[in-house]
Amino acid sequence: MLLKLVKQDLGYDRGPVLRGVSLGIEAGDRIALVGESGAGKSTLLAAIQARLRDRAALVPQNPGLVASLSVFHNVYMGRLNRHPSWYNLLNLAWPRQRETAAIRPLVARLGLQDKLFERAGELSGGQQQRVGVCRALHQGGELVLGDEPVSAVDSHQARTVLDALHEQFGTVVLAMHDVELALRYATRIVGLKDGVIALDRRNTGLKVSDLDFLYRDRDAPRS
Amino acid sequence: MGKLIGRRFFIALAAGLLATSVAVADTFVFTAIPDQDEARLKERFGKVATYLSEALGVETRYVPVKSYAAAVTAFRNDQVQLAWFGGLSGVRARLLVEGSEAIAQGIEDPNFETYFIAHVSTGLKPSQDFPKEIAGMTFTFGSKGSTSGRLMPEYHIRQQFGKSPDEVFSKVGFSGNHSKTVALVQSGAYQVGATNFKVWKRELAEGKIDPDKLSVIWKTPGYPDYQWTIRGDVDQRWGEGFKEKVRQALLDMDAPDLLASFPRKGFIPATNADFQPILDTAREIKLID
Amino acid sequence: MPPAAETSSGLRPRYSRAVWVSFLFIAIAAACLPFADLSISTLDPWTEMERMLWGVLTPDFLAVSNLGTAILQTVAFALVGVALAAVSGFVMAQFFHLRLVRLLCAVARAIHEIFWALIFLQMFGLSPLTGVLAIAIPYAGICAKVYAETLEEAPPAALKVLPAGVSTLSTFFFVRLPDAWVHIKNYTLYRFECGLRSSAVLGFVGLPTLGYYLETAFSEGNYSEAAALLMIFYVLIATLRVWAKPRLLGLYLVVAPFLLSGSSQIRLDNVLRFLGEDIVPAPLRDANLLDAGTWSGLADWLGMLLADQALPGIVATVLLTQIALVATAFLSLAFFPLISEKFFGRFGRTLGHIFLVVLRSTPEFILVYIFLQLWGPSMLPAVVALALHNGAIIGHLLGRYSDEIRLRPDSPVGINRYAFEIVPRMYGQFLAFLFYRWEVIMRETAILGVLGIATLGFYIDSAIADIRLDRAMLLIFITALLNIGIDSLSRLIRDRLRLSTRVESCRG
Repeated sequence: MLLKLVKQDLGYDRGPVLRGVSLGIEAGDRIALVGESGAGKSTLLAAIQARLRDRAALVPQNPGLVASLSVFHNVYMGRLNRHPSWYNLLNLAWPRQRETAAIRPLVARLGLQDKLFERAGELSGGQQQRVGVCRALHQGGELVLGDEPVSAVDSHQARTVLDALHEQFGTVVLAMHDVELALRYATRIVGLKDGVIALDRRNTGLKVSDLDFLYRDRDAPRS
Repeated sequence: MGKLIGRRFFIALAAGLLATSVAVADTFVFTAIPDQDEARLKERFGKVATYLSEALGVETRYVPVKSYAAAVTAFRNDQVQLAWFGGLSGVRARLLVEGSEAIAQGIEDPNFETYFIAHVSTGLKPSQDFPKEIAGMTFTFGSKGSTSGRLMPEYHIRQQFGKSPDEVFSKVGFSGNHSKTVALVQSGAYQVGATNFKVWKRELAEGKIDPDKLSVIWKTPGYPDYQWTIRGDVDQRWGEGFKEKVRQALLDMDAPDLLASFPRKGFIPATNADFQPILDTAREIKLID
Repeated sequence: MPPAAETSSGLRPRYSRAVWVSFLFIAIAAACLPFADLSISTLDPWTEMERMLWGVLTPDFLAVSNLGTAILQTVAFALVGVALAAVSGFVMAQFFHLRLVRLLCAVARAIHEIFWALIFLQMFGLSPLTGVLAIAIPYAGICAKVYAETLEEAPPAALKVLPAGVSTLSTFFFVRLPDAWVHIKNYTLYRFECGLRSSAVLGFVGLPTLGYYLETAFSEGNYSEAAALLMIFYVLIATLRVWAKPRLLGLYLVVAPFLLSGSSQIRLDNVLRFLGEDIVPAPLRDANLLDAGTWSGLADWLGMLLADQALPGIVATVLLTQIALVATAFLSLAFFPLISEKFFGRFGRTLGHIFLVVLRSTPEFILVYIFLQLWGPSMLPAVVALALHNGAIIGHLLGRYSDEIRLRPDSPVGINRYAFEIVPRMYGQFLAFLFYRWEVIMRETAILGVLGIATLGFYIDSAIADIRLDRAMLLIFITALLNIGIDSLSRLIRDRLRLSTRVESCRG
């Protein structure tokens, strides 16, 4: 078991957003967090990240790029902890062949091959999001935590991104607002509503309509 | 990429900072208090430098400074070894540098004078007695560190009124040098001023002074003023007897254009004791502790 | 300044806090006026002004035999000084969370470069080190502060996604520095422009830069020569962005140290003597510290200095600062339309730009010097020069700011547009700029004493003329405290009024 939360209140300084959370994450889980915006998906992810920081790669909603550095450098940052500082600085000034060779295919897979040395700040929102994903892929590790990692890309690219994430990482925890996509990739669905975990089930035979109750004010859960 | 440029910038910068040039040459350097127009000073002391280089057989250079204090400081810090000082700056310098000595002065210098000058609009007339009517007017000294432009006039003002110049006049200024004092009184910026009699006479002769606009209203009694002062350690650096050589060279200066540029009729020996009255006066009005 | 339109909370017109603060400052300045000497003491300023104008019309580029050297030295001192400041400021910015570092930087920048130069002249004489350090030290203090504030704004999201265990060094260079770098570079370039002004001004105390020749030319009445020098200086600053490209700057920097001239001998004993003897208060020098007389002597010495010099110096400095500040405020409100798209066409704006560039580029010190020549010694030249220079700086920033305001198509024009549409929208910004400049104006005011106005600088200059460095240092220290005090007060007012601005070129 990677993580076990038992009846925890989670939230920020202003008081808990989620109450009495009990959740266990097993290695190999592919979890989708679903629920209305504001239901507490990000809070839960942040709580998980705080506990698994050393082992998790992160794809936050704001991709967390350094705008004035190139795509290459932003992706390289996923492995800053694996190299001595002098080597990192060397790459900052003169990207090494070895590193570009490792990063180029990742970037190419997500359709950014011709942007490798462009400044991250000059890319579109969707491109920036993919750079964030590339960095997580490059970082690797046991699990990935993603907060709406495909919110800004089109549906075709969304599949490429999710395929890549699921191939690279053994354990995946993603907050998703597109329920169909969630059902397609996840092996386990965790639904949040009114500050509690309202649903935690293996994804066997679940249908979109089974999740409708999580979305009170809308006719259908849609992206 | 901006990043790369930035990094190169820093490397270049570091290299530049390390490479600070240091030139060492045993040149004999002298300076002079900037008591009048700089163009004139450069012309005068440029000639003196050439003359001394020849007479001493040592490369001699003049460095100009912007203030009396800077001249004293340069002498004190051994950045110059010889200086043409006024009475007060010389006394100060010799107090600060042990072993330094006054070696020569102009023939006129033991009996120097300060002229009080006034703009014509004041209605003041030349007189034998101290013009007490100047109280309440605006007044300018020369440099703060000048003997003829500050020390002696302030001394006489304090003697006459028993008060500091601030209390005597409605406004007190420091023009910076004697030429400036003359110009400021001539323009009416100040009603009264105190200036060096040598500068006054020369500027009058050169037609720079318009007698319809300003005139001398009082002359101070004589006092010792300008002198050449040399550091005590020059013999160690340029050889035994160097100080005497310098003194002799200064006393031997007789080229008319050289002397005219000072202007002095010639140079005579001087000793530190000659300037005791200046030291006493400076102490009396608390310019020196 | 119109009343704030808070209709919900009152039936009568009310003024906002910002407007009340403005009234307060105007009232203070008005109260200062009767105590300030603002007379024109020259009997015939017009003749001299005519001569000066004639000089401007007939600039004599050949008269300045050392023109090339003067320019080269000015640039070299600025370059080396600012480079040193940038590097050390950058290092200090990393430790800016330490109170000691913040304090050192505050003191370093509270002392004007001319005072630093006067201090180093005592230690190093006219060696290049004097000029370099006089620029580098206060600038390092300013750079450290601005760099630290800039680095603080590093993207927090990027920090969060870093894998665990990344070294501080890598974090710094990959996350903290890159986005801040552009601001740091721009600010450093702006500092370099300031450095050119400082370098030029240092000539007034004897360094071989532009100010040296300018002072000579002015004091000898060679206005054509002075005009030529000033014009070259304007061109130098106006074309800064052309010749001061980062790439080229690196090259210049390698060359610059070799160009710095002056006597190059530095002797340790002079430095030690200055630190160990000269600045020790006279009553304590070679005195028996166990003797009660020594301490009562020190008390007398302190009492005399504070009562006879520091106090009148402080009063004059504050008077002049407050009057100049309000004058600056009015002038900047008058100046900004000159370069604003909202008020003038292309041709008019070009003239406006030239006018403001000239006023901005001329160091205050030199402007005051010029006006002193014209009007004789009083506070008037200082007020006018400070207001013109700072008014041009703020006017320039406001003008640019006003261009960004979007007006509705049917908005009024002319004076109505100015009073109803533009000024109310910029008022907060305007006050922010002004309060940033407050401390600069005070620092500048203090230094003007060197030119004979009775501010603190006058007493410092007198102490140095008397080679009483203990007094000079104490007075410089008091000046620094006064500046730090004004700086804190300004920050307090800005916080209270919630004024902030990111325009770096207004600071320091």
